[in-house]
Amino acid sequence: MRTEKTHRTTDARFRPGHLALLVGAVVVILLPLLFTTRYTTNLLILGASWGIATLGLVVVLGYTGQISLAQAAFYGIGAYAVALGTTRWEINWWVALVLGLVAAALAGAVLGTTTLKLGGHYLAMVTICFQIIYTLVTTNWIAVTGGPDGVSNIKRPPFFVPVNTVQKYAWFALAALWLVAALVWLLRDTALGRAMLAIRENELAAEALGVDTRRVKVIAFILSATIGALGGAIYASGYLYISPDSFNFDHAVAFLAMALVGGSASPLGAILGAGLLTFLPEWLRELQRIYLVIYGCAIILVIVFMPEGLWGYVKLFGRRFARVRHLPPVDQPIHVGGHGTPGEDILCVHQLTKRFGGLVAVDAVDLTVRRGEAHALIGPNGSGKTTIINVISGLYVPSAGGIRFLGHNIVGQRPSRIAHHGMARSFQNLRLFRELSVWENVLVGAHRGGGRERETEARALAAIEFVGLSDKAFEICRNLPYGHQKLVELARSLAGEPELLLLDEPGAGLNQTEKQELVRLLKRLNEMGLTILIVEHDMSLVSNVAAVATVLNFGKKIAEGRVEEVLRHPAVVEAYLGNREVALGV
Amino acid sequence: MFEVHDVHVAYGAVTALRGVSLEVKSGEIVCLLGANGAGKSTTLRTISGLLHPLKGEIVLNGEPIHRLTAEAIAKRGISHVPEGRHVFPGLTVRENLVLGASNRKGTGRDERTEDLARVFKIFPDLERLQHALGWTLSGGQQQMLAIARGLMARPHVLLMDEPSLGLAPILVQEVFRVIKEINASGGTTILLVEQNATMALAISQRGYVMETGRIVLQGSAGELLKNPQVRDAYLGGGKAA
Repeated sequence: MRTEKTHRTTDARFRPGHLALLVGAVVVILLPLLFTTRYTTNLLILGASWGIATLGLVVVLGYTGQISLAQAAFYGIGAYAVALGTTRWEINWWVALVLGLVAAALAGAVLGTTTLKLGGHYLAMVTICFQIIYTLVTTNWIAVTGGPDGVSNIKRPPFFVPVNTVQKYAWFALAALWLVAALVWLLRDTALGRAMLAIRENELAAEALGVDTRRVKVIAFILSATIGALGGAIYASGYLYISPDSFNFDHAVAFLAMALVGGSASPLGAILGAGLLTFLPEWLRELQRIYLVIYGCAIILVIVFMPEGLWGYVKLFGRRFARVRHLPPVDQPIHVGGHGTPGEDILCVHQLTKRFGGLVAVDAVDLTVRRGEAHALIGPNGSGKTTIINVISGLYVPSAGGIRFLGHNIVGQRPSRIAHHGMARSFQNLRLFRELSVWENVLVGAHRGGGRERETEARALAAIEFVGLSDKAFEICRNLPYGHQKLVELARSLAGEPELLLLDEPGAGLNQTEKQELVRLLKRLNEMGLTILIVEHDMSLVSNVAAVATVLNFGKKIAEGRVEEVLRHPAVVEAYLGNREVALGV
Repeated sequence: MFEVHDVHVAYGAVTALRGVSLEVKSGEIVCLLGANGAGKSTTLRTISGLLHPLKGEIVLNGEPIHRLTAEAIAKRGISHVPEGRHVFPGLTVRENLVLGASNRKGTGRDERTEDLARVFKIFPDLERLQHALGWTLSGGQQQMLAIARGLMARPHVLLMDEPSLGLAPILVQEVFRVIKEINASGGTTILLVEQNATMALAISQRGYVMETGRIVLQGSAGELLKNPQVRDAYLGGGKAA
């Protein structure tokens, strides 16, 4: 395969690392010294609390790709917990805070769980409803919340230095902002954070790689809600008085605007956005009546012209300082195929039927794949091959019939469960995590093996090395040519050390020389003991890789046996091959 | 027919084309070969106006078109059948086809019926499926629909990006037969990007080979088929002849 060997592997993402955290710490110390009037210090506290709430949106929207217009409600839950806790209930500030965080986490779990199957505008609608219900409850449940009058005389946290002056409290608020930003930033490079990014980029592919997408989405909502509540608690003790107006739908929209203006996928972006939208109205206040117009237009302009938000510009600037990253040396070879007896049945499909409405896509098909075998599934377009792959990997539930994989009855199991039994798959129309690097893509695939981060990385390294993409590891997948993207998908499947690999048209879009390279890789994998079930239209590729073939037509099996015999079968030639010499390229 | 002259194109900071020049004469089938990422699809996208060159020009029948919008270029009779089909999933086959004619102004009902009849003659399956929604079609049917939609524009020039992608062998043969027929019967000029170089060269008169954003080789289809470099890089060595 021809690649530009001279191409440098530069990391396109700016990784400010510990330096940014250090600079942030200095800013935290300096800001309250620079903003000394009571008015500006209060703004600083407000900005910090809004920044924290926006960081919650970074987790749920920026990382996981789930829109939430209920962040003001969670912010309000934290605020009311501290407000009521330190006034009416007379409990310790910290206990009240913990109560608020727990309450928000529970509410986040409820919202996350009820919206599991929703996306896009439906999800937006449900979160808006949640937000409105919250506002109605806090306004009308006067006995508990004090209603529209709000709660006053809220206490500040008892601290090792008394946090009684506004300036000291501003330090406290900014320190909390700094800490949450650091944690959210660190989250990105954990298994959980990568799973979130994978869901944002391609939920189906994440699930097929073994990411329990439901669990991760609920966790994202819980984290986001908890972080939002922390912001609210800090706000309540900063202003010492709260009312339901500070937590209404307008504020939920404002938090979303802060995330979008700053750049929702980055903690620093969220802080920039929150800071800008806190101070901009104050700067514009002199313009009096037209200030809201300018404020609104500024937000529209940023969103239209800076789709990545302010962070996008910081990133461009930071790219100059990006260092060249190299992969560490590979310390273990790729390991695939498991440890069973060669020749035993590992996948048994029995009388499998799949209907879509009135259309029978797969009609009572039996298929057995033995360990160590490379098995081809061929047939005309629309004959049900991809449907079978989708049913086996759990994306579709069969209408009838049974599937056993390594002794497990996998009918009705979620794709992530099936992946954990040792199955991996590729997709016909690539499903990569396009905005992530090759390295991150393959790491998500490597999670399946479990163990520590080091072991996950070792598996990913071996897989990238195996497909020959080591010099492209830190490139963003979107920028790679199609042939390389196909290899990324293969490496991502292999990194989880599968026992059975399902390939859906791996050769499509490759030229004849690239296909020979693919044949070489697949043969090596098969020799290592990996069982392969391959759907492919290039007969020269099929006959070079597979020993056994099953042929489908109109959802039914029409032939099965050794590849060279099957390809001579008159029914197969008629329905599928056409001119046999041309099809086989001989 | 049309000429591409020293065209440079970049995606942001990434340069995709570094001075591509090629010429397609009226009534020809010309194929464009090259590895993944060489810039073949980018070349087609630039000709059809989805991308605009930083430098260089594209001339159609004496008129420079590289500053025009994709819509204006489509109105001048260049039709692009994109890679990966891009069938409108929520529309029926018939609606997909009718939209293909939207480059022409005020097409009457008679004219539309006539055009539909013409493409249904080439693709009888589509007539049977005309009320099915785009997403319910199999890969092969979608490819046929994409080509048929391209033909509805009554193009003078058809740009085809990997029409055989993901098709069963029998359909690959069918697609190439159809391309030849479109060219022979309607005199439509065709610029073809294909990974299946052997079959593409078999129906083309001439070909160009691209590498990292440049044209590195050109010649008649016969010459390219015999060229050892081409055989090595794109035809899988000596085997496929």
